[in-house]
Amino acid sequence: MPYHYPEGTVRALLNTDHVTFATRTALETRLALEAAYEPRFFSAPEYALLKAVCDRLIPQTGSEAHYIDIARGIDERLARNESNGWRYDAMPPDQDAYRLGLAALEASAQSRHQQSFLHLAEDQQDALLTLIQQAEVDGEPWDHLPADRFFEELLAEAVENYYSHPLAQETIGYVGMADTPAWQRIGLNELDDREPRPL
Amino acid sequence: MQQYATSETVDAVVIGTGAGGAPLLARLAAAGLKVVALEAGKHWQPAADFPTDERAQSKLFWNDERLSAGEDPLPFGNNNSGTGVGGSTLHYTAYTPRAQPDDLRLRSDFGVGEDWPFDFDEIEPYYDEIERFLGVSGPASYPWGPARKRQYPLGPLPVNGAGQLMERGCRTLGIRTSPAANAALSAHYFQEGVGWRSACTNRGFCQAGCSVGAKASMDVTYIPLAVHHGAEIRPESFVTQLIKGASGRIDEVIYVRNGQEERQRCRYVFLCAGTIETPRLLLINGLANSSGQVGRNVMAHTALQIWGEFDEDVRPYKGIPGALISEDTHRPSDQLAGPVDFAGGYLLQSIGVMPVTYLSQMARARGLWGEALKQSATAYNHIAGINILGDCLPYGHNYLELSDEKDVRGLPKPRIYFSNGDNEERMTSHANQVMRRIWDAAGARNVWAFPRNAHVIGTCRMGNDPNRAVVNAEGQSYDIPNVYISDNSTFPSALSVNPALTIMALSLRTADRFLNRLNRLD
Ligand SMILES: Cc1cc2nc3c(=O)[nH]c(=O)nc-3n(C[C@H](O)[C@H](O)[C@H](O)COP(=O)(O)OP(=O)(O)OC[C@H]3O[C@@H](n4cnc5c(N)ncnc54)[C@H](O)[C@@H]3O)c2cc1C
Ligand code: SF4
Repeated sequence: MPYHYPEGTVRALLNTDHVTFATRTALETRLALEAAYEPRFFSAPEYALLKAVCDRLIPQTGSEAHYIDIARGIDERLARNESNGWRYDAMPPDQDAYRLGLAALEASAQSRHQQSFLHLAEDQQDALLTLIQQAEVDGEPWDHLPADRFFEELLAEAVENYYSHPLAQETIGYVGMADTPAWQRIGLNELDDREPRPL
Repeated sequence: MQQYATSETVDAVVIGTGAGGAPLLARLAAAGLKVVALEAGKHWQPAADFPTDERAQSKLFWNDERLSAGEDPLPFGNNNSGTGVGGSTLHYTAYTPRAQPDDLRLRSDFGVGEDWPFDFDEIEPYYDEIERFLGVSGPASYPWGPARKRQYPLGPLPVNGAGQLMERGCRTLGIRTSPAANAALSAHYFQEGVGWRSACTNRGFCQAGCSVGAKASMDVTYIPLAVHHGAEIRPESFVTQLIKGASGRIDEVIYVRNGQEERQRCRYVFLCAGTIETPRLLLINGLANSSGQVGRNVMAHTALQIWGEFDEDVRPYKGIPGALISEDTHRPSDQLAGPVDFAGGYLLQSIGVMPVTYLSQMARARGLWGEALKQSATAYNHIAGINILGDCLPYGHNYLELSDEKDVRGLPKPRIYFSNGDNEERMTSHANQVMRRIWDAAGARNVWAFPRNAHVIGTCRMGNDPNRAVVNAEGQSYDIPNVYISDNSTFPSALSVNPALTIMALSLRTADRFLNRLNRLD
């Protein structure tokens, strides 16, 4: 049974003394990101594809204003050629892996459905992503990239980008950012006043 | 802070300021030596620089890319290694159990692995000293291991929801538990050379940096003590070369600061760059490897996590993450989960967790995405984990090498091979049963396992045989007498406890041995 938490808790807490200056600055910067974004690493078609994949990995049903651009963080990281400290030895370097992976995904969509991934129905998109996750795709483009590892890495990065956003954190009832002063009630079923109750 | 000119020959250069570097830095400075610490990372001001935000805090991790190979590739970055003045202690969870005497005698007791070149009595006084200095919080009486000479200086930290649940499950099964020893303050504490440090505010964020200074990371403990005694800390100084003089000793260290190469002349070098960077630096420079053991014997604790969902509100972001411990599995009896078919043992630890870390692990391990992922994520406030930390044997197939790929600094990326052996597999499957039973008894639903290994150990091991070890029992290189190593790389065996307290103990021991030797020379 999924839990639901009230909207607006994190934004409200950000304006209180429960959040340190450093924390508020970090989170408000993320909240204030402009919706429009021009990719710096990916080409426009690659970026559209990446966004479509991210929308299936973490579907967002809320209003446009609440949309969290998961792909943006990936593009920004790759544009800076930054790493998270390691990669599977079996994988090519991150920039190549993303380019190869997106091209291979598109090639698989074309060979199975004679259509771009972008134009597939959602259940077709999901079916193809499942095959990639299970490394059950073949064809030349996948020869240079272990499909399951590509999927795992992409999924982990998408999840990290999404749940780093205060509005996504709000949906799971997380208010750990409001850590000032000390948490007083930390045992089972003990809540401080500022912690949201599930609806 | 004291500053030394690069033209001056200082007594010692310490490379790296983590658990292995900081304590000896303070000890050498207190003895009146001129010491300079070269640290690749920044010197943070936690109150201003550490938001309670995992993304922003990824700056604490060593993010230069490493290549993870083998059957069980080790994740680095946020899972394994830090940078900054304080090293990985900036983001350690501060769980500080002592090793037990038999941890140091694995080969004698089981015929596998390695014995340490000294026994527990050599380390115990250092445990005692460090616990006192850091202000470790722990129980009045600890059920496992030899009797303590003194109690923990502070009472235990409050136990959070995950700890209460583990206690509940263990009690049903007859497994003993105790509030854990944590190097985080349960009350204000006065520290020599540092001043008053304030108590833990239960913010559960230790793995992404403590903004209130309650956690005993090195930057708020041994580093200020070292500075108080006249050490210089040079942050953002990345060491690239150790230069050998005519005598065969290292007389100069080259490092890059602000994009410029600088040199520091010195009499002694203490290499404390951690299990990956220490051997990498030695291999790049072709040093100290007549044994061929530099980079060999990579070990990583068995560290399976079992997660479960509970009806109760747990809120895993509150309280010291590792609140509870059991060492009944240190040398488990056959009654616990059937005949024990592995060498060594492990400890059990309750775990709280930050959301991004948890969800990222969940996505990887369970392969969840789409609506299934989002639904499971909403259970975050109701989840709790148990984690083991167990011994890992050294194997020939687990090692570090330099790859052909260059990193952003133009240095070869390290490639690390890691595959669990039979012993680790058997221990892990034992632990899997035990932890699932605990969670069943505590009322968990949707239980799932996150397979992992934690802490990289052992690439420059110490020992009495120069053909099989890189450094002697004092941490001194067999090949280059003025080079010492002090970090997690020197452990001959992995131990069945978290490493940091023992790394600090060896660090002080190395410093004392070195100072004795120096006095004799004078
Ligand atoms: C998430 C997490 C939680 C942990 N929790 C615990 C715990 O609860 N209990 C526990 O006991 N242990 C824990 N650990 C492990 C513990 O942090 C490490 O074992 C310990 O800090 C290692 O000490 P070290 O001295 O070997 O290396 P480090 O502490 O990593 O220090 C090495 C330092 O050297 C610097 N350096 C490296 N290369 C260079 C170079 N070329 N030039 C200059 N400087 C360089 C690095 O920047 C770094 O600051 C945890 C680790 C992680 C990742
Ligand atoms: S739980 Fe305590 S020690 Fe850990 S980060 Fe928070 S205040 Fe610091």
